[in-house]
Amino acid sequence: MVHAGIRVNFTSIMALFMVVGTIAFVPKAEASCGAVSCFVTIGSQQQVSQEGILTVNGIYNYTPMRTIPGTTGIIPGVDTPNQQLILNHHQETRTITQTVTADLNYGITERWGLEITIPYLMRTHHHIDDLGEPPNGEGQATTFSSDGIGDIRVGLKYNVLPTLRSMVVVGFGVFLPTGTTNAVDSTGTLMEPTTQLGRKQFGLNPTLYQTYELIPHRLNQFAFASYRHTFENSEGYQFGDMWEFNGGFNLITVPWLVLSTQFNYRYIVHDTFKSSLYRSAQPSDGPALFPGDPILIDPNVRNRRVPTTGSSFTAFTPGFQLSLAELIDSPYTRATSVYFYSSIPIARDSNNSLAQGTSFVAGISRSFRLSNP
Amino acid sequence: MRSRRIISGPVVIVLLLVMVAWPAFDGWSMGSRVPAIGMEVEDFQLTDLEGKPQSLSQHRGKIVLLNFWATWCKPCTTEMPAMQASFDKLREKGFVVLAINELEDDAKVREHIKTYGHTFTVLMDRDNQVANQFGVYGLPVSVFIDQQGRVQEYIKGGLLTEQMINDVVARIQKQEPVKAASLR
Repeated sequence: MVHAGIRVNFTSIMALFMVVGTIAFVPKAEASCGAVSCFVTIGSQQQVSQEGILTVNGIYNYTPMRTIPGTTGIIPGVDTPNQQLILNHHQETRTITQTVTADLNYGITERWGLEITIPYLMRTHHHIDDLGEPPNGEGQATTFSSDGIGDIRVGLKYNVLPTLRSMVVVGFGVFLPTGTTNAVDSTGTLMEPTTQLGRKQFGLNPTLYQTYELIPHRLNQFAFASYRHTFENSEGYQFGDMWEFNGGFNLITVPWLVLSTQFNYRYIVHDTFKSSLYRSAQPSDGPALFPGDPILIDPNVRNRRVPTTGSSFTAFTPGFQLSLAELIDSPYTRATSVYFYSSIPIARDSNNSLAQGTSFVAGISRSFRLSNP
Repeated sequence: MRSRRIISGPVVIVLLLVMVAWPAFDGWSMGSRVPAIGMEVEDFQLTDLEGKPQSLSQHRGKIVLLNFWATWCKPCTTEMPAMQASFDKLREKGFVVLAINELEDDAKVREHIKTYGHTFTVLMDRDNQVANQFGVYGLPVSVFIDQQGRVQEYIKGGLLTEQMINDVVARIQKQEPVKAASLR
């Protein structure tokens, strides 16, 4: 069950962009946009900032999700308060997630960097709930919206003996359980873990970033790999492990314009939930049972794979970055760049649940010198 | 069917990445650590804009400013007039400037030097080896080497001024201890 949605909150977006301040170098940009948690690599987001420099990225992401043609969107319901997994209980319709992220990168030394990523999510979701239940078994349309801080990520990065042409950065981050996990839908029902803004548990996230100047200061290639493991939370729910691989090229056409292209692959293992097992009543159960309450299959509470979770997603992401410093000579544009990317799905396997559609990422990057080395 | 789709996607991407990134591993020489103050520098040889080979050792006995730069690097080109002014003033007193251009073609560099009228020696580090030798992964970097071939100052990123260069050269000539924060 992967769903996400958001209301547009322009005030929050503008507030975030106003936080982004001034300075320094104009990094090249790489971007990738996954499903619910989209990350955009803006050069400085993956690299290690120079010693004493704080680089701030303000990133806006728009991610719609719908069912893929040929799938039904019928997925289990996860009732965490009662520890029940109810098969075929929901029919997903749509989710839209908008994320505004503040990413802060600080160079502790020339090699070590500290990164803090603070997402603010705005989510709207539509589905049909209570399939199989009275009055007619067709369920009821339910909407959900929530906005707030998601799970904050804190990480350390190490620049492994870089050269003018190449760079390898290894990183290790921890996701903190700071996101909201008690949002309810339009009927007042607690929403499922996959719809909440946070995961209610810590997560580990090693990363590896590599870049090489194929044609110095003209064309470079980059690659990025990430793994995320989330521990089981207090509700007995554990999100599946996630792998991400991105690779692409940046082309400096004129000094103020960088064209970027990349491929992104994301693989998510299914979730698990400690629960008993039910299924929704179906017409074939006969009039005595349909419509009716969910039918018990196994009363034992044990760790169960959540069907329709887990997915794979491959996208092609073109984009561009504008160096404002090269366009406008002003203290306000010094070492500032803006960027835009569009992530276009080319292969999706959503396990009958919602799948990510074409997504968009826009952002601004700027740096501050906080201390002299 | 699902496992085949899962395997084929990442396999294709990984293969593409390896093909594209292969030059990185072939030509990728890991950068070296920044040389410590007082450390004797290993000799190197590069060609100048006339195609003549020049080595660091042929300037032994003089104070050498190694400046790593590129035409696209604004701070690099901004500090070059200061380097020129100091070179004009101190060249007769045993001061040499070797401006080491990184990864650019001769024509572009020659045009830049001609446009701005620089007369100090420009060396072409086409394969990035000398930059790697000095732990350079960002531009500009300036390294002051004394008459005995030892590093006396290593300045990263900051803009050189004529006064700064003159002060460093004077200090080296007097063989005074280098002040703190030599490695910036």
